[in-house]
Amino acid sequence: MMQKRLAIDVGGTFVDFVSLDEETGDIRIEKAPSSGLLEQRFFEGIDSLALDLKALRTIIHGSTLVINTIVQEKGARIGLITTKGFRDVLELGRGNREEIYNLFYRPPPSLVERYLRLEVSERLDARGEVVTPLDEDGARAAIRQLKAEDVDGIAIIFLHSYIDPTHEERMRALVEEEFPKAAVTISSEICREWREFERTSTTVLNVYTKPKLMRYLSALEGELKRRQFGGTLNIMQSSGGITSIRAAQEGPIRTTVSGPAGGVIGVAALGSYLGEGNLVAADVGGTTFDVALVSNGQPLEQSEHSINRRPVLQPTIDIVSIGAGGGSIAWIDDARGLHIGPQSVEADPGPACYGLGGTLATVTDAQLVLGYLDPEYYLGERMRLDREKAETVIRERIAKPFGMSLIDAAAGIVHLANMNMAYAIRNITIERGHDPREFSLVCYGGGGGLFAGFLLMELEAASAIVPLNPATFSAWGLLNADYREDYVRTYLRRFADVGAEQLKCELDALENDVRSRFTDYGVAPSQTATQFHAAMRYHGQEHTVKVPILSSDFADDLLSLRQRLDALHERAYALSLPDSAAEIVNLQASVLGITRKPELKRMSPLLDGELLKGKRLVTIRDYGIDIDAAVFNRDNLAAGSEVQGPAIIEEWTSTILVLPDQAAKVDDIGNLIIKRVEK
Amino acid sequence: MSKVDPITTQVIRNALKAAADEMMISLIKTAHNPLIYEVQDFGLAITNHRGEMLAEGSGLPGFMGCLGPTVQSGLRALGSAGFAEGDILLANEPYETGTHISDTAVYMPIFFEGELVAFSALMAHWADIGGKTPGGWCPDTTDIHQEGLIFFHDKLYEAGKLNQTFLRFILKNVRFPELVHGDLNAMIAACRTGSKRYIALCERYGADIIREAMEQVFDQSEAMMRAKISEIPDGAYSASIMMDHDGVELDKPYKVWVTVNVSGAEMNIDWTGTADTVKGPTNHPFVGTVAMAQTVLKSLTMPFDPMNHGHLRPLTVTAPDNTAVSPQYPAATDSYGYVGEMVIHLIVKALSQAIPMRCPACSYQMFGGAIYRMDPRHGEPFIYIDPLAGGSGAFPHADGPSGLIFVGDGNAPNTPTEVIEGRYPLRVLRHTFNLNGAGKGKYRGGFGVTREYQMLEDNILIQTMNENTIETPWGLYGGEEAGVSELTVWTGSDRERTIRGRVYFYGPFNKGDIITQSSAGGGGWGDPSERDPTLIEYDLRNGYVQPDDQ
Repeated sequence: MMQKRLAIDVGGTFVDFVSLDEETGDIRIEKAPSSGLLEQRFFEGIDSLALDLKALRTIIHGSTLVINTIVQEKGARIGLITTKGFRDVLELGRGNREEIYNLFYRPPPSLVERYLRLEVSERLDARGEVVTPLDEDGARAAIRQLKAEDVDGIAIIFLHSYIDPTHEERMRALVEEEFPKAAVTISSEICREWREFERTSTTVLNVYTKPKLMRYLSALEGELKRRQFGGTLNIMQSSGGITSIRAAQEGPIRTTVSGPAGGVIGVAALGSYLGEGNLVAADVGGTTFDVALVSNGQPLEQSEHSINRRPVLQPTIDIVSIGAGGGSIAWIDDARGLHIGPQSVEADPGPACYGLGGTLATVTDAQLVLGYLDPEYYLGERMRLDREKAETVIRERIAKPFGMSLIDAAAGIVHLANMNMAYAIRNITIERGHDPREFSLVCYGGGGGLFAGFLLMELEAASAIVPLNPATFSAWGLLNADYREDYVRTYLRRFADVGAEQLKCELDALENDVRSRFTDYGVAPSQTATQFHAAMRYHGQEHTVKVPILSSDFADDLLSLRQRLDALHERAYALSLPDSAAEIVNLQASVLGITRKPELKRMSPLLDGELLKGKRLVTIRDYGIDIDAAVFNRDNLAAGSEVQGPAIIEEWTSTILVLPDQAAKVDDIGNLIIKRVEK
Repeated sequence: MSKVDPITTQVIRNALKAAADEMMISLIKTAHNPLIYEVQDFGLAITNHRGEMLAEGSGLPGFMGCLGPTVQSGLRALGSAGFAEGDILLANEPYETGTHISDTAVYMPIFFEGELVAFSALMAHWADIGGKTPGGWCPDTTDIHQEGLIFFHDKLYEAGKLNQTFLRFILKNVRFPELVHGDLNAMIAACRTGSKRYIALCERYGADIIREAMEQVFDQSEAMMRAKISEIPDGAYSASIMMDHDGVELDKPYKVWVTVNVSGAEMNIDWTGTADTVKGPTNHPFVGTVAMAQTVLKSLTMPFDPMNHGHLRPLTVTAPDNTAVSPQYPAATDSYGYVGEMVIHLIVKALSQAIPMRCPACSYQMFGGAIYRMDPRHGEPFIYIDPLAGGSGAFPHADGPSGLIFVGDGNAPNTPTEVIEGRYPLRVLRHTFNLNGAGKGKYRGGFGVTREYQMLEDNILIQTMNENTIETPWGLYGGEEAGVSELTVWTGSDRERTIRGRVYFYGPFNKGDIITQSSAGGGGWGDPSERDPTLIEYDLRNGYVQPDDQ
């Protein structure tokens, strides 16, 4: 019987496992430290859940391997072959100074040294016409030169190949003849968008990470086979859709934010169950705070992101990450200003209260001092926190230099951390044309529950939702992902010149292309859906707006499409120019292969009996009070339970704080929904 | 007087910074003109009721410090009582606002409970201001009236009511009224955002607490800046350079001279020795000269600290009247940026005598060209402006970065080849490093950039800009000076010519003609004979340096 699904999310400090029994809806979770060999952790988690691999239908994997390889600059030694006259594009970049006051500003170092960047004579013009044919002798010479340098991989990018990839494809064939051992990526297979630097960067990063991801996934596959796993292993992509191992190995750059993407997909799934379309996904981890938006049920995407200032052209869920989390360090600058983060303590030694030798004051230490955390019940009693050590670091590092009380210092740290997160959410929402008051917050990650109430108050959001098992919520989100393949292609046209028929043809061709990549997923055609978008703008502008294309648009000669551009431009930029000429820049087809979603298990209704675990003194600065908060065990709460703030609700991976003037209610699938209580 | 606790102080400081950020988001999102949303040619600030900066958000470094004086000029002109709730004012007279009249300031007084408590202010480069050159940046004006419309704290809104006549007058006198109107509305919206946030903060903490907290922040920032200046050895440090010419008197180089006087915890930056006000538009208004000096001080001491008025207290900037860095009415200032760029580098050069390890060598100077065709009889009109990136001066501990835009252009990105070719009748034949013209040294200057264009149609012209072609960017401590940026026209033909002039119009070029722009590198740092062999090996391996050039 194939009836189980498993999601594995590798994060910075932990590997999270969530298994789902499709028949009973039972969820089991496990956390393991993420240090050491990843392959090993992967199977240790499976072992500790006592999972029968033969009963597993699917494993969905979110991995940080690609992003870590890029951040740590530990990828393969690779070469680059490009159009004659343009070998320096990778190093020239866009020439901008991101830090205008930094006299020592320097762009990130090129991942391919100049002597490994070779040129070949060939050229297309901006319409895709061949100006200079590919010089095959020169091409072979370049490949041999890189072979002699013993590179592991070759990135190939020619100008305007987004229109016609013929030269790139021929070049790849030549590499396969001359140097079959090399890992190869041609730019047109990974992105079909204009802007040569960004495309080069994307292609280079893909080859740079390819050998490592190939080795890792092959190792997993081998061991799974040895253990008689008969299902499929899927990899989460940055777009929020899953893909096959094979596709991930060819396009590692598509998986850079695969872990955080799981959380956002989970938020969208939760929203669809709750009937809420507008949600802020707020993931509070140990070192970072990740924010994303779900609007009208869809996670907001971006077509480009960067990793350590290196651009990547790929459809990606729009996630903003700031250095704020439980491990963020509180410190005083030379002008006696108090700051929280962006630096944080590593998992080892961690906050001072872990008692593993940490000597810096962190947000977690402050939360312990304020009474938010129970030293005896951290990580479900797996860890004892040392309150005295927390008090010592906060007193010595913050309270004494400021001449204030221990409690005031701790409350100050928590308050500043709250405000940093609130500003991050505010900025991402208004920047993308939304009003935070029209959104509900979904707070997850190990630290989400302690910030939910504060963020609700600060942002005047509709409600703050803390899902069950918030610490492993991103892994749970992975279980909700559909298969997804995208194709973005630069298609620069004046809108007025494009007829409905012509656009339809283009999109059909794009769709066929994407569908051809769906063959090995075993998804029935009836279970697929295609979404089309156009990146559009007004003539003379640089920035574009992503506009959905609906099938009804072809019936009215694209008039509604044009009106949709005006409406979306108005939303994003508070401006629309219905009388200005419009342009299409890119077309995108996204094909989804719909997977069966996990059934959300209904909670049993409220039982009689004592829910209250006890009372604890907590300090809540905004109310200027020390107050007795009721303490509840989340496991004892049931559907319909209501808790009045101030209250603390504990579960094994997380703690939730409900403020005075707030109430938390448990819904029928176990979410805690915190709202303001009108006085 | 009760002190505000340090946590509340920090919360207020962060809130003001967040308010400035929100103004910036609002501006970028709603502006119509790519100079604002793309090049980020703007600056913005929230000041207190005296026009002292509480928080800033800036796109280009030159704007920092211009907005406080702009508001203060308004306070002098109108008096505190001259402002009413809902006023929106315009100001751009460069002697009051610091740059050129294209950078028009829009600001609004903020009232809480009937009292003037603060200002939100921003200045941004307008798409046009009605001067003799479309879009501003006139190369050859000789007085300010040729450069466009002048505003002197004029109220576009009076107590919340729009002055329709004034608006119509503005829009009738600029070339791209739709763009200008859009930008103006974006600037007003941003001011109102800042005002709204400031008032919300007052409602939460009270105007007095905010005032007191920020006085404390000023004092702390001042103390920190004093401590940083104290680390610099006392002394008088000078540097100077000859600029090519002012665009009008073409055979007349002129000098810019700075002396940095460090004495204990205070710094004075004095411009005595700088040439008299020049006839052409390359004068740099004194408010801007002060702002640039503040920018450099911040960059050298605490580049990542959010700036406020307190940081600026230990610094005085002085200059005799009527020099190229302190022009008075009616001197032309529209091309102020050439001197502005050098003002930054000269202060760094002067201070390199005191704190060598914090001072890079000089970078290439502003260079680029506008390739265009205006006459519709010759084909579809277009203009493509290419401010070419170049080499930065070497650092005291590393080679200078290659191919970065000049400091004054901030975070502006280049235009990709694929976009140029998709949009204009041009083909880019090469976009590579220019391996000539980087100063050697223990650490060498960064390399400049070469971009070569072939014309795909007829009747195309180029206007160039260049600077410091006579006295070139310097090296430090034995590092060699950099070369000169240059334009080659009709490359590869028998008409080939290389031009190093500061401002030139060339053409017309016809189909097949080639022009080549090559920017200079940066100056070197330290004696070339001390260069680390592994760096030499790296340069040779990568072809940055030829074996016979060692």
